[in-house]
Amino acid sequence: MSARAAGTARVSAPSTRQTLNLLFRLAWRNIWRHRRRTILLIAVVAYATIATVFFWGFMDGYAESLLSNQARLLTAPVLVTTAAYYDDPDPANALPSLDFLAATADIPSAPRLDFFGLLRSPYTSQGALVRGIMPGLEPAVSVIPAHVRAGRMLTGPGEVVLGKTLAEELDVRLGERLALDVSALAGPQAAGLVTVGLIDSGLAAIDAATVLVHLDDARRLTGVTTATGVAFDAPRGQEGAVAARLQDYLPPGVQAYGLMQLMGDAVRFEIEGSRLSMVPIGLLFAVFAALAVTSTVLVSVMERTRELGMMAAIGLAPKQLSRMVVIEAVLVTAVGWLVGLVLGYLLVWIFATWNIFGPLFAAFGEAFAALGLPAELYTAISPLYALYALATVACAAAFALLIPARRVSRLNPVEAMRTE
Amino acid sequence: MKRTVTLLLTLALLATAGAQTRADEVVRAIIDNQRGDSGRVTITLTVQRPARTTEYVIESIGDGHDRSLIRVIAPAREAGQAFLTVGDNLWLYNPRLGRALRLPPSARGDSFLGSDIAYRDLAGRDLELHYQAAITAEGADSLELTLTPRPGAPTPYGQIVITADPATHAPLTFIYYDQRGQAVRRISFSEFATVNDRHFPTRIEVVNLLREGERTTVVMSDYTFGIEVPEACFREAALARGC
Repeated sequence: MSARAAGTARVSAPSTRQTLNLLFRLAWRNIWRHRRRTILLIAVVAYATIATVFFWGFMDGYAESLLSNQARLLTAPVLVTTAAYYDDPDPANALPSLDFLAATADIPSAPRLDFFGLLRSPYTSQGALVRGIMPGLEPAVSVIPAHVRAGRMLTGPGEVVLGKTLAEELDVRLGERLALDVSALAGPQAAGLVTVGLIDSGLAAIDAATVLVHLDDARRLTGVTTATGVAFDAPRGQEGAVAARLQDYLPPGVQAYGLMQLMGDAVRFEIEGSRLSMVPIGLLFAVFAALAVTSTVLVSVMERTRELGMMAAIGLAPKQLSRMVVIEAVLVTAVGWLVGLVLGYLLVWIFATWNIFGPLFAAFGEAFAALGLPAELYTAISPLYALYALATVACAAAFALLIPARRVSRLNPVEAMRTE
Repeated sequence: MKRTVTLLLTLALLATAGAQTRADEVVRAIIDNQRGDSGRVTITLTVQRPARTTEYVIESIGDGHDRSLIRVIAPAREAGQAFLTVGDNLWLYNPRLGRALRLPPSARGDSFLGSDIAYRDLAGRDLELHYQAAITAEGADSLELTLTPRPGAPTPYGQIVITADPATHAPLTFIYYDQRGQAVRRISFSEFATVNDRHFPTRIEVVNLLREGERTTVVMSDYTFGIEVPEACFREAALARGC
């Protein structure tokens, strides 16, 4: 009885862990027995991973560029203004006082006075939104001063800096005088301003519409003694938190608006919408790569029918055979994924460090500037991209389980061994 | 020696100031002649463009300074439109809407009825206010003044060269130059009428020197000057019903 028992113990089935270990070793040996096929598979998965990482890096970089443009070129990271001005941007709704700036002195800020005016050159006239600024403070919250490519930034009253395209439309050159007509609290007012600088940001909305004058001129022309708003600096992504912090120091009726609020629904939906619409495209990448892996695994299974039949004949159960095939697919895909991650992140790092896209798009002409694409466009880097690319591995495993593994599990050992 | 230098400098300054005063007076006289006295006038405004010519008949009432009421009489599709200028304030009456709209002061620089004339050419004294005048040539037939913008003046022009009759100070031409020295606009005055010692041009031609074939002619008729214009003519209500 004990001998029988001992005999039974000797022939008892291996544990699941042992089986998996065995299958893993078999699968690993199999994939390296067909080096060329394995390298091809790794290359396919690596390519899909590089594409996925780069795709998301570009998409996020594009969205981030748009947000940065909004914060540093078009609006402000955080803007403090009256609720009335936010609803109706009329200088009559300007800030009642700037006393709150004493309490918020630790955050760099710049007062602004925006108003509508008519610019007249000897050849034509054009309406524009004019911004009165303090030239010394504005660089803390805006990159527009850094985009003055011809001439110089404002230094005092009596000067104007224009967007390059606007200057071309008005046919005004550096050193020439423009007439600016304004009607606001001070009644009809006009000023002659000398053009001292031209802005070339590569962003159509800025180059075609920017008019910067000194805050003193803006106050004289409008009759507003304070400002229509104060722009505050905030790190990208923390605009909402800075706005919430500022709110504690503001008098009633005055609000701090973070970038997301300032952008307006249309721009916000465009950025969020474009990101959402990219999810199916990203998934498609993963599915195509997984299908490529699956088809290669399927061909490999068909080529190895005789070999697999032999393995079945010496005792490998159909389930174990199919598991082995799935493990092979997952192993190759995982190696390809790792290789792809290294190369993919290297690529996005290069594009995140050097402005390669900006000049590339600029070479295509004005259409990209009109779309809101900035002159500087960098890719983003996030560990999430590795996870997105992992979807390829998951899909490959799923497909391998569905097609080649099922075929293997239905294999008849006798017929399989007869296959040439 | 020191006293002599001081005396010479004082004389030079006085001479400059005197010349400046004279130039300013001439400009004032020219504008007075151009604007005419307070009165009522019928204007035929012809706007020529390369592809078309449009003619308007207008009735204008002014106080000779910075207030005027202009009403369009013909063509029929434009009739009833009215413009009231009081200083820098400008109102437009649209008969189809049946209401008056206050235009921003910037509209004073806009084209009047699509012509080459701006509202600011019809009323106001911008040339006196925004420019410094100097007599640059003086002959038997013509007096030439060069007007350069005062510092910070709200004008985009580099200079305006005015010619006038030396005896009567009736305006002959205004040539507007850009800041690159290129003439961009010419206004010619002719067919003068003498009313209350003012030599009033009844024909004005404005030529856009940058666009060939674009010109506007203003011919005045049925004018009566030196009359008392009722204050009601310069109120918003006068836009719809006239005065």
